[in-house]
Amino acid sequence: MNTSDHPYLFILLLGLSAVAFALIPLGLAWLWAKKYSPKKENAIKNATYECGLESKGDAWIQFKSEYYLYAIIFLIFDVETIFLLPFAVSFTGLGVGAFISLMVFLFLLVSGLAWAWLKGVLTWK
Amino acid sequence: MNLSLMSLEIVVVLLGITVLMADLWLPAERKRMLGYAAAAALGLLFLNTFTSHCSCSLTDGQTASTAGGMFIQDGLSVFFKRFFLIAAVLVLILAVEFSDRIAVGVSEYYSLIIFALAGMLFAASANDFVMLFVSIELITITFYVLTSFTRGKVVALEAGVKYLILGALASAFMVYGIALVWGTTGKFNFSELSMVSAKFAENKLFLFGVLFILVGLGFKIAAFPFQMWTPDVYQGAPTPTTAFLAVGSKAAGFVLLLRFLFTAIPEVTAHWKNLLIVISGITILYGNLCAIPQRNLKRLLGYSSIAHAGYLLLGVAALTNAGQSAVLYYLSGYLFTTLAAFTVIALVMRHLDTEDISGLAGLSQRSPLLAATLTLAMISLAGIPPLAGFFGKFLLLKAVIEQGATNHGYYCLVFTALVGVVISLYYYFGVVRAIYWSKDVPDRSPICISRPMRLAVWVCIAGMFWLGLFPNAVLKLADSAVSVLK
Repeated sequence: MNTSDHPYLFILLLGLSAVAFALIPLGLAWLWAKKYSPKKENAIKNATYECGLESKGDAWIQFKSEYYLYAIIFLIFDVETIFLLPFAVSFTGLGVGAFISLMVFLFLLVSGLAWAWLKGVLTWK
Repeated sequence: MNLSLMSLEIVVVLLGITVLMADLWLPAERKRMLGYAAAAALGLLFLNTFTSHCSCSLTDGQTASTAGGMFIQDGLSVFFKRFFLIAAVLVLILAVEFSDRIAVGVSEYYSLIIFALAGMLFAASANDFVMLFVSIELITITFYVLTSFTRGKVVALEAGVKYLILGALASAFMVYGIALVWGTTGKFNFSELSMVSAKFAENKLFLFGVLFILVGLGFKIAAFPFQMWTPDVYQGAPTPTTAFLAVGSKAAGFVLLLRFLFTAIPEVTAHWKNLLIVISGITILYGNLCAIPQRNLKRLLGYSSIAHAGYLLLGVAALTNAGQSAVLYYLSGYLFTTLAAFTVIALVMRHLDTEDISGLAGLSQRSPLLAATLTLAMISLAGIPPLAGFFGKFLLLKAVIEQGATNHGYYCLVFTALVGVVISLYYYFGVVRAIYWSKDVPDRSPICISRPMRLAVWVCIAGMFWLGLFPNAVLKLADSAVSVLK
C-alpha cells in the first residue's frame, strides 16, 4: 500500500499501533493472571507479600529520598559503559579524533562525579 | 569537523563547569561574587564576538557549517548569539542580587544559567533536527531545575512540576513530528530538507510531522494554544529564572521557528499563511485579555509575554524578510524592556511574599530610579514612542500591512493587533498608577541598589531609548541577519 494514497489511514494506523503498543502488554498480563492465578481468596492470599514480613502501617510515610542521588550517579557509570565498551573493542581501528571525543565525554561525566563526591553526596548521613 | 566554529559554545560550557567546580573550593561568603565573575566573563565573550578572531566573525552574507552541516554559523546565528550573551549577563547580575533568597546552591544556580545559555547558543546555530532537539532539551531541562530552585516554596514547586509535565508533552510531540518528517523525507538536515520539501508539500504524513514540530516550538514561545503553562511558571519561578525564561527561552524558540519555517520548509510555510495569521491574532487577544484582571505583577507579565509572542508572530506570518527582521528588532527591544521590568520586581519585592501590584506603592519616593525604570518598561511594552517597543511594533505592523494586498486576512490581523495594543494600555498603566498614585503607602524605606545592579538598570534604560530613537544600527544588523531566510 502506498502511503500517499491513504495518508490519513496511515496516520490513524500509526496512532492505533502506538496505543496498542501500550495496551497489549497490559492486556496480556491481565489475561495471564486470569488464566494462571485462579481466585482463592483468603487472608494469606490477600496479604501484600505472600511470604516475607507482614507490612505494618501506612505506605504514605516520609522516608529518606537520598537514594535518588545514588541512582543518578550510578547512571554516570552505566552510560559510560555503554560507550566505553564498543570504544575499547574497536580501539585499534580508531583515529585521534575518536579518542579525543571520548575523552571529552569522559571528562564531562567524571567532572560531574567529582563534583558530587566533593559536595559530600556520597556520604550517607 | 571544524571545532573552531563552535569555540564560543565550547568556552561557555567550560565556563559553566568552571563555575560549578569553583564552588567546591570557594569560601561560602565569596560564592555570591562568583556570579559577577561569570557575568564579567560572558561580557568579555560578548565583546569578543565583534573582534575578527572570534567564531562569530563573518563577512557579510557568508555562512559556514560544521559537524556534517548540523551546526551553521551565519548572520542569523551571530545576531542571536549576541542577543543571548547580553541576556545572560544581565540575568546573572540579577541572580547575584537575588542570591540571598536562594537557600542552597547559589553557584549551581549560576552555572545552570550558563548551561541554559549554551543550549541557546547551540539553538541559534541549529541547522538539523537532531541539533534542534538537543539544544531545546538542554534549554528546557535546565529550566525545569531553575524554575523550582527555591524548592521550599510551594509555588515554585508547582511551577516546576507544571513546566516539567507540559514541557515533556511538548517534547514528545516534537519528537513524534521529527520522526514523521524523517520517515517521509529521510532528511534531518534543514538545507537538504529544503531541496525536497516542495515535493512533500501535499503529503499529509509530512504535514502532520511539521505540525507536531510546530507544537513543540509553539510551547517554547508560548503561543496559543500552548500557552497554558506561562502564567503559573512565570509567577512561581525565582525572578531571574522568569526573566531568562521570558527573554532567552522565547528568543531561542523564535530563532528555531524562523530557521525551520524559512530555510527547511519555505513552501509549506507559504501554504500555512492562514494558520500563522490565526494563531498570531488569537495569541495577541488571549494574552492581553487575560492580563487585565491580574494583580500579581509576575503573572501579569506572564500574560503580557503571551501577547508579545503574538506580536512577534505577526512578523513570522508576514512571510517576508521585512517581517523577519522586524521580529529580530522587536526581540532586541523586548530583551531590555523585560529585563528592566523583572529587575525592578526583584529589587522592590525583596521582602514581600507575593508580587502583588500594591507592593509598588510609594516606589516613586523609595527609589526614583527604579520607579522611572519600571515606568519606561511598561511604556515600552505598551508600545508608546519614543521607546523600543513602539518602533518594534511599528516595524511588525508595517511588514504585515505591506503584505495586505496578497491576503485580506492581514488587514484583520493588523486590526486585531491594534485592538490588543489598546487593551494592553489599560493594564500597563495600572502598574504605572500603582507606582506614582497609590494612596496607601505601607513602606517608605529607601531601596538600596548595588553598583553592578545600577549599571544593569542603566544598560536596560539605555537599550530601550537607543532602540527607540536610533533604530538604524540594529535594524541594519537584523536586515543582514535575515538575508539567509527565504
